[in-house]
Amino acid sequence: MKTAMRYLLLGTLALTAVLSASVLAQSSSGDEKLDKIRAKWKPGGAEMIPQDVLTMFPCHSEELPCGKIAPPPVEKVTFKGPLEGDAKRGEAIAINVRYGNCVACHSLPGHEGGTIGPSLSDYGKRGMPLDYIYQRIWDVRVFNPNAFMPIYGPNRVLTDQEIRDVMVFITSSK
Amino acid sequence: MKGALLAAMLCVVPVLAGAQVQHDYLPGREKVVPHVSGDEQFSNTYRYWKDADAVRKSKAAGLQSRDVNFKDFRWLEKSFDGEAKVDMGREVFHRKAKNGKSCASCHGENGEKLKGVYAKLPKYNAKAGRVVTGPTQVKLCAKANLDEDWPENTKNNSLLDLYVASLSDGVPVAVDVSKGPMKEAFEKGRDLYFRRTGHFHFACASCHTGVATTSFLRGQRPSTFFGDAAQYPIYHFPYRLPGDDVEDIFTLQHQIRSCQMLSRMLPGEEGSPSMTAIEVFLKATSNGYPMSIPTQQYNMSTDYLKKEAGN
Repeated sequence: MKTAMRYLLLGTLALTAVLSASVLAQSSSGDEKLDKIRAKWKPGGAEMIPQDVLTMFPCHSEELPCGKIAPPPVEKVTFKGPLEGDAKRGEAIAINVRYGNCVACHSLPGHEGGTIGPSLSDYGKRGMPLDYIYQRIWDVRVFNPNAFMPIYGPNRVLTDQEIRDVMVFITSSK
Repeated sequence: MKGALLAAMLCVVPVLAGAQVQHDYLPGREKVVPHVSGDEQFSNTYRYWKDADAVRKSKAAGLQSRDVNFKDFRWLEKSFDGEAKVDMGREVFHRKAKNGKSCASCHGENGEKLKGVYAKLPKYNAKAGRVVTGPTQVKLCAKANLDEDWPENTKNNSLLDLYVASLSDGVPVAVDVSKGPMKEAFEKGRDLYFRRTGHFHFACASCHTGVATTSFLRGQRPSTFFGDAAQYPIYHFPYRLPGDDVEDIFTLQHQIRSCQMLSRMLPGEEGSPSMTAIEVFLKATSNGYPMSIPTQQYNMSTDYLKKEAGN
């Protein structure tokens, strides 16, 4: 009986170790900047982006150190296929004001949106190359330094996989 | 020896230059002049809204809200709900503090001596040794003369700001930025307005210049910045910022902070030098445009929506 208890305890400990290891693996992406942001804020929820995340980026203040942060360097990226993602998740990211908020400026498949950017309602039909779409969302400054679009990649607004989800969603309209 | 000296000098220059951060800017800041007509350099709409007559004419001609840079729907009509807030401000203005004095003790019954003053704010305050906005002036004055703590972004401060601004209703904005600390503040504010910051790497100008104006941004209608400051403080019913207890009054400082929050920039401290500089920039680019107090951000009239739908 005692031995059985001991095995049960050992088993529980082992299971706990495995579970916590997998939780750790999930919360650590290997990207320090991204991890720092996501540890303080989960996008897409009810909470607005907190101040201690915002102070990591350039700001208007004269008094705070963020007033002297240099702008993030332009990031040229290469898209590695194939494109795999979840259209439903991509849609949720694209229409949420506290996530990607694409709909603020663009109409999207199934969603009427803002008119600042071009409509993407039938984007799938246009057959744009995937590496172009990926770069455009990651860091639009490669194509136009004065574009009115967030730089989703360099400031870790979205992760690589989240951008892929959005890509699957916006190219889904055929 | 000469060569070595030159090499040393060349080395020093990049080090000094390196201490200065090179910010990212949206284009256009060199084109801004401190007058409402400067809008001609930024949109092709100034002639439609340059005065009340022009707004009426363009509406009569069937122009849509979008065609007139969204300047029509809140400027022409006063806010009835806002009037009630002005009345509350008048009450605070005449309320006696513990020392027996009120704002009216120095500034006259019904703010007689403050007529037209708000159109000239922000201004350099010699006693404080810096440029101050309306709310900061209220704070300093209340502390010095009434021993009241009414900092920026608190209820009494905002009510007073609205009341004093209403005493300048119809008076053209005239903020002098030709020299000294006001010129410096204007230039700093202009720099900040076009500087890209925050999580999205946006500038204020990302929504308020170029193709972003006269377009739709979700449910919002961004316009160029010229002329808008003449309507602030504004009665702003639809939403509050977290922690707000300012009687639904959006001072210009409060509006800047709200914009920063919506575009994922660090919201500034109201009344701080950088926030004051942005206000100087916004108010001076409304120079020549008559103050209109109280109006409200989202006018109850939805005519413009029917027009858009019928398009």
